[in-house]
Amino acid sequence: MQWLDAAIQGVLLGGLYAQYALGMSLMFGVMRIVNTAHGDLLILLSFAAIVIATYLGIGPYATMFVLVPLAAVAGYALQRLVLNRAVGSDPLPSLIATFGLSITIQNALLAGFTADARSLPGNGLESASLSIGPLFVGLLPVQIFCAALVLTGTIHLLLRRTRFGRALRAAAADADAASMIGVNPRHVYAGATALAVGVLGVAAVFHALRVTVSPADGPGQLIYAFEAVIIGGMGSLWGGFLGALLLGVAQVVGGRIDAGWGSLAGHLVFLAVLAVRPQGLFGGGSR
Amino acid sequence: MSRNPLLSTHGLIAGYGDFQALFGIDFEIHPKEVVAFIGANGAGKSTFLKCLMGLVSTAPGTVRLDGEPIARRSPHESVKLGLAMVPEGRRLFAGMSVEDNLLVARDHGRRLSENGRAWTLERVHALFPVLRDKRDARVESLSGGQQQMVSIGRALLCNPRLLLCDEISLGLAPLVIREIYAALPTITAEGTAALIVEQDVGLAKSASSRLYCLLEGRVTLHRPSSEVSRAEITQAYFGTSHHAVA
Repeated sequence: MQWLDAAIQGVLLGGLYAQYALGMSLMFGVMRIVNTAHGDLLILLSFAAIVIATYLGIGPYATMFVLVPLAAVAGYALQRLVLNRAVGSDPLPSLIATFGLSITIQNALLAGFTADARSLPGNGLESASLSIGPLFVGLLPVQIFCAALVLTGTIHLLLRRTRFGRALRAAAADADAASMIGVNPRHVYAGATALAVGVLGVAAVFHALRVTVSPADGPGQLIYAFEAVIIGGMGSLWGGFLGALLLGVAQVVGGRIDAGWGSLAGHLVFLAVLAVRPQGLFGGGSR
Repeated sequence: MSRNPLLSTHGLIAGYGDFQALFGIDFEIHPKEVVAFIGANGAGKSTFLKCLMGLVSTAPGTVRLDGEPIARRSPHESVKLGLAMVPEGRRLFAGMSVEDNLLVARDHGRRLSENGRAWTLERVHALFPVLRDKRDARVESLSGGQQQMVSIGRALLCNPRLLLCDEISLGLAPLVIREIYAALPTITAEGTAALIVEQDVGLAKSASSRLYCLLEGRVTLHRPSSEVSRAEITQAYFGTSHHAVA
């Protein structure tokens, strides 16, 4: 029973990682940008969520409704003003640009919020739980998992069924060919980043509800997003989702074996996948 | 040919970095016309198409549309002006279905403001019926000829005034090439002009009304296709010093 409980907790934890991974997977899949500022953007948005909730005096879900559009606009501007200048066949300029962005965000947060850890008050949501037979699961992790599932499914449908999704996939496959039939790749890229950072706005609210945040937390979260995406296969949406769940399970099960082994177990699973199947479990499959 | 050409170039010069590929190309094309560009590998044919499309930049005033100079632009802006390109190597969107490949063009191509008949999926299917049967297939599963049809259909759905075709017969079986070229009169019937770059001189001659031969970035021959002799082409193709064994 202890291990079933660990697996369930792990899957639920994986829901949060899946939300981190979604935007990263999208940006890599469409633009081949490895966004090393992904974790810092998450922390930046977490602080923004705390500020919004505090000043407007609203609950976490209302905060999300305010934060996500702002995040999407910020993502659009980030792509138009910075990343579009760095994107191209050479992956190095965008890597350096996002690395610089990462340092900038961390230091700006440190200057603005000091190194104190803060969190978003959930009005009891963070401690509420459901009992299923002998097992107790937190209400918040269940909501996080459901949100991850809905987000991944929605983006999947968006890519498959909409005009914007088709343009996104076309630009991902061959940006020059797409431009020859009227697609403006830079506009499409900005839309992709707006979507990626918008999703990160949802993840940020959950992140700030679940744990305390401080300005230097970004890189740690980036690692989890990275591992989830690589376990699943770079650029594969559902692969990233399942990779995140596997990572979550590995961490919780590892933590049950020994309290210090949580993150280590996740890293070991990640390394094992890299060694055995470097393209990821679902790499090369359908996006 | 007294009225304004649909598109013309005037002393067009282009290159990549220090390498100059085109040395003063004068060219014109009129509505409904099919014009062929022939020449050896590296003569500058593809570069010329890229210049028209905006993929390679050119000096201001050297490209004119309806007699008016058009500014430097991105390829997607060229599409809005009425150009579309069937690129060399087809360049389809891998991982996407035939239908989705076509829909991208329909979504982003030029909208017709005149009362001209717009290209629709149905019209592309009528032109290349195999694309209807294969609509849900991934493009990479198609044969080369079918892929070329998708690439042409994609360009047509942009409702171009001028269709630029780069080596559309390359690597295809003669029967398939004939099938694709048979679609050309349907395409030009409603006013669209076509500029075809072709390796196969016989094919270029029979499909076009005029042809230009390029040699090392210069036009060495420009004649109505029906009047040009094989000897003239050989001379223009290889240069004057070369004597072909006929």
